[in-house]
Amino acid sequence: MPVILQGLITILIGVGGCVGYFYLSNLILDRFIFPAKGENIGRNINRANAVRPWLFLFPAMFVLGLYLVYPVVGSFVRSLYGRNPNEFVGLGNYISLFGSSDFQTSFFNNFLWVIIVPAASTFIGLVVAQLTDNLSWGNLAKSLIFMPMAISFVGASLIWKFVYANDADIGLINAIRAMLGFENPIDVMQIPFWNNLFLMVILIWIQTGFAMVILSAALRGIPEETIEAAILDGANPWQLFFKIKVPQIMATIVVVWTTITILVLKVFDIVYTMTGGNFGTEILPSYMMDFMFRDDGRATAIAFVIMIVVLPVMIWNIREARKEMR
Amino acid sequence: MDNIAGTKSSLMWATHLSVLFLVLLWLIPTIGLFVSSFRDRDQISESGWWEAPFAVELTARGRTAADAVQDGDVYVITGNIYDDPEARSYFPGGGGEIVAFGTSGRAPGEFPAGERVEIGDGETLVVNTDGTYEWRTPEDPGDRGQRVYFAAESPPNFTTENYEQVLTADNMDRAFINTLTVTIPATIIPILVAAFAAYALAWMDFPGRGVLIAVVVGLLVVPLQLALVPMLNLHNSIGIGQSFIGIWFAHTAFGMPLAVYLLRNYMAGLPRDIIESAKVDGATDFELFLRIVLPLSLPALAAFSIFQFLWTWNDLLVAKVFLPSDDASKVMTVKIADDLLGSRGGDWGILATAAFVSIAVPLVVFFSMQRFLVRGLLAGSVK
Amino acid sequence: MTTMTKFYAGAAILALSSGIAHAQDLVFEKGEGAFSWDSLEEFASNNDFSGESIDITGPWTGADAELVNSVIAYFEDATGASVNYSGSDSFEQDIVISTEANSAPNIAVFPQPGLLSDLASRGAVTPLEDETAEWIRENYAAGDSWVDLATFEGEGGEDRLFAFPYKIDVKSLVWYVPEQFEELGLEVPETYEELKELTQTIADEGETPWCIGLGSGAATGWPATDWVEDLMLRTVSPEQYDAWVSNELDFSSEEVVNAIGEYGWFLQDGYVSGGREAAATTDFRDSPSGLFQFPPECYMHKQATFIPTFFPEGTVVGEDVDFFYFPAPESGDLGQPVLGGGTMFAITEDSEATRGFIDFLQTPLAHEIWAAQGGLLTPHTGISQDVFPSDSQRALNDILLNATTFRFDASDLMPGEIGAGAFWTQMVEFTTGSQDAQATGEAIQSRWDALQN
Repeated sequence: MPVILQGLITILIGVGGCVGYFYLSNLILDRFIFPAKGENIGRNINRANAVRPWLFLFPAMFVLGLYLVYPVVGSFVRSLYGRNPNEFVGLGNYISLFGSSDFQTSFFNNFLWVIIVPAASTFIGLVVAQLTDNLSWGNLAKSLIFMPMAISFVGASLIWKFVYANDADIGLINAIRAMLGFENPIDVMQIPFWNNLFLMVILIWIQTGFAMVILSAALRGIPEETIEAAILDGANPWQLFFKIKVPQIMATIVVVWTTITILVLKVFDIVYTMTGGNFGTEILPSYMMDFMFRDDGRATAIAFVIMIVVLPVMIWNIREARKEMR
Repeated sequence: MDNIAGTKSSLMWATHLSVLFLVLLWLIPTIGLFVSSFRDRDQISESGWWEAPFAVELTARGRTAADAVQDGDVYVITGNIYDDPEARSYFPGGGGEIVAFGTSGRAPGEFPAGERVEIGDGETLVVNTDGTYEWRTPEDPGDRGQRVYFAAESPPNFTTENYEQVLTADNMDRAFINTLTVTIPATIIPILVAAFAAYALAWMDFPGRGVLIAVVVGLLVVPLQLALVPMLNLHNSIGIGQSFIGIWFAHTAFGMPLAVYLLRNYMAGLPRDIIESAKVDGATDFELFLRIVLPLSLPALAAFSIFQFLWTWNDLLVAKVFLPSDDASKVMTVKIADDLLGSRGGDWGILATAAFVSIAVPLVVFFSMQRFLVRGLLAGSVK
Repeated sequence: MTTMTKFYAGAAILALSSGIAHAQDLVFEKGEGAFSWDSLEEFASNNDFSGESIDITGPWTGADAELVNSVIAYFEDATGASVNYSGSDSFEQDIVISTEANSAPNIAVFPQPGLLSDLASRGAVTPLEDETAEWIRENYAAGDSWVDLATFEGEGGEDRLFAFPYKIDVKSLVWYVPEQFEELGLEVPETYEELKELTQTIADEGETPWCIGLGSGAATGWPATDWVEDLMLRTVSPEQYDAWVSNELDFSSEEVVNAIGEYGWFLQDGYVSGGREAAATTDFRDSPSGLFQFPPECYMHKQATFIPTFFPEGTVVGEDVDFFYFPAPESGDLGQPVLGGGTMFAITEDSEATRGFIDFLQTPLAHEIWAAQGGLLTPHTGISQDVFPSDSQRALNDILLNATTFRFDASDLMPGEIGAGAFWTQMVEFTTGSQDAQATGEAIQSRWDALQN
């Protein structure tokens, strides 16, 4: 029993500390530092309101700065050094990367992943969210489609081995081929170009659940009146969906799309466990893992290339945020 | 009117069918894993999981007995091939009907069952469908029986052995509690912290807001491998070392960009007039946040908490780096990866079971959180 | 919600019934059997580390971890120290992280000399005493090879012995099912030429000689590197092999390309179960199962000593399946080269008890305890031959003791980008048949050249 108790106590301390910070800091700000009373009431409220955003932001910014910004800066410096951490090479790592054909392959593959996976996951997720909306067993259907999200990557790659295996007695695809009368099993992981798509299917299978959950919540948030008005205007279900509902939740769709895009830029487990990057399926994160802990200079340089790829998404998000502020 | 009702119901049918189709498509791979988790390693490589409920024809081998009865010039040996332990070992679910037999490994099913055949040197052999055999040989067989290969129906055999093995592994209970100790705070803390930050970024006015949003989006893509070594160094130098506190911090930080990004976008979409009118009524930001924004954001909070929970639950890398590697603080993923898979990487049955054991709790969480995602709580207020 | 409650209730019951730590018992009664108990007594009388504790991390998990713990138990019994071994499947990543974070264990057990040499040059590993090197030279078969293997350039630039080799794997083995060989009237080959003839004979019979599988997740391709290394040892001198390891002999040189081509000979149509493309992705753990099918999918499988773990349940080595030494060419100039791997104990956080543990590994008993339970081979010439649990284990160990040349797995000695990168992936390309031996050698060499700038 002490183990459980110990766990509970630690949980309470962690969560309690966090709640305590927000409550007490606001209390102190409003009651003691700039109390909303007395002669300077107006000025005090204004000052408190100028400080408060930073009070709200502080814990988040603190952990982000410490755990992410600081290593990123450190890594950027490291990427300017060679295999030996004392040897400064400037942009040498970047130059030799872009000259290597392996890197070009992974860059191109990554490009395909970034286009196809978010598009497919979001689209299928949206369709499922809409179709299950009025279904009596919709929640069950959603749970089943969500299930892959809960499976670890090790489990997922195992699952897909039972589909892709180069053996009609283990792999589903080859079993179906054998049933259709094809003689020899094929190895879908070795078909040039298409093997990339087969790998993407795995991530789409996992991420559709994510898209579905978020989009389903957004669809249900559309005001009834809007939909009723459209139906009264004689919109058919297709028009209702594409002309009314989709534009209403466009912002959410974009968020989902962005999130999945960013995930794609980070996930290396699938390629790593399914093909080990062989047969022309290498992508940037798995290519980075080849160098991690061996040639940190090059590994960090690849990490920065990945971060640069996301630059357009960042810029777009700033502009969106600006628009909202107005 | 009839016409409209007709299209409506046929549309309904189309919806039912297409959802069913999608669900099946999504489910089939998982079913494969589920079925495989109840089969043992030899069976998994013998036949596809979709054939698991059916008997499969298996080739096996055994040896006849050697205790001969003399019948005139010949020695006769009779018995049942299933009495041979080696032959039986191929059929953990009990041996089925024998279809064919042979005496060479190259042609294990040369002769149909029940047929008496010459096997050279004047010897004859017959193996019947029930496993009984008669071997006649002109010479004393000595103490070594005749090698017999045969093809037989192997009835389906399901076992919970894999589950027993995974669940009763030493200290698995401890690992389960450790996982909860890691996941629960590592889910709640980042949500709390992120919710405040997201509110500030969405509804409070201060200089540098746009830049901060951009930084958060940029940080989304940081591969966390970059942060592992420097952060472990930091933990060691400030005295946290490898501990639960350390891993909470790490998970909080690594989940923070997505949390802030998702929540901010959701909160920014809340109707402006509700918030403005509350402000006009004199509510402070803190009250506004607690009383209005937080309840309205429940679906987004629920969605994110599900993801953060799943991520921390299934995480292997962060746990390996930030927790000590002794048995007292291993979490389930580490336990499974190190103690079970390391030594039995080829054992697909165990792998499948491990995947299912770790999926159980996240699914329960999803089912119980699901009601927070539904319309009722939104009160139709989001734009 | 009820499910949730049940789950918690279950967890609580589980928690209640646990709490009994597993104290490791001595697996063999002291003084009984063919063990060298006097070596333990002598060690015990010279070493007392009561109250001290040692942390060891290594790559062994599961059953292997239990075995290493059974050896450690005798050290604890003799010295009074307490030793905590923890194994990890991703040991290599973990040890890099923990040395960088200054949280290293006392002893780390390295499966790869490459990583060890890296850490040694950074000063993360403490060198062993010179007497230890002397001891290995005298007491290990092919002792010089072993000292050379564990000697690296330290932080200061001078060569020192950094690790103690313990538990060796032999890779030059071919596994076969004797009964199937008998049926076809096949003989175990004595020379490399005979092995090739045998391959051809089996193919002529309409059967498939070999099962090859390179699949291993992120490490896909390594079994092919073992093939090339064994063939290098059978086509060029050990000195040239060493030159290849250090890249003085180019990957694109005639010698190496020839060895890759020799491996290609075994991949011809009809020689490999499923064909060469399937060989590239078949999991190395599933690959030997072809030996045990009726009719057999193949007759031979080249793999290291560990592979019986992945044979079907209940398979007995020596009865159901046996092995022979991957034979050397008839000419005899090259002797009986043996390719292998092995683990090395290195000190990552020095203490007196830690030194004592390295000394303990020099006692025959430390080898015998594990060997008697199966799975450990050792070049230690002083151990009792009677402890091996079966004739086949003894025969395996004899391969090691009789070796005229022992060479370590080259891919483990090369820089990580090559030995655990380009070499693997390019051999996969070669195995599928998408590029020839020359192109393969050149592709790996160009990666190596890129390292040196």
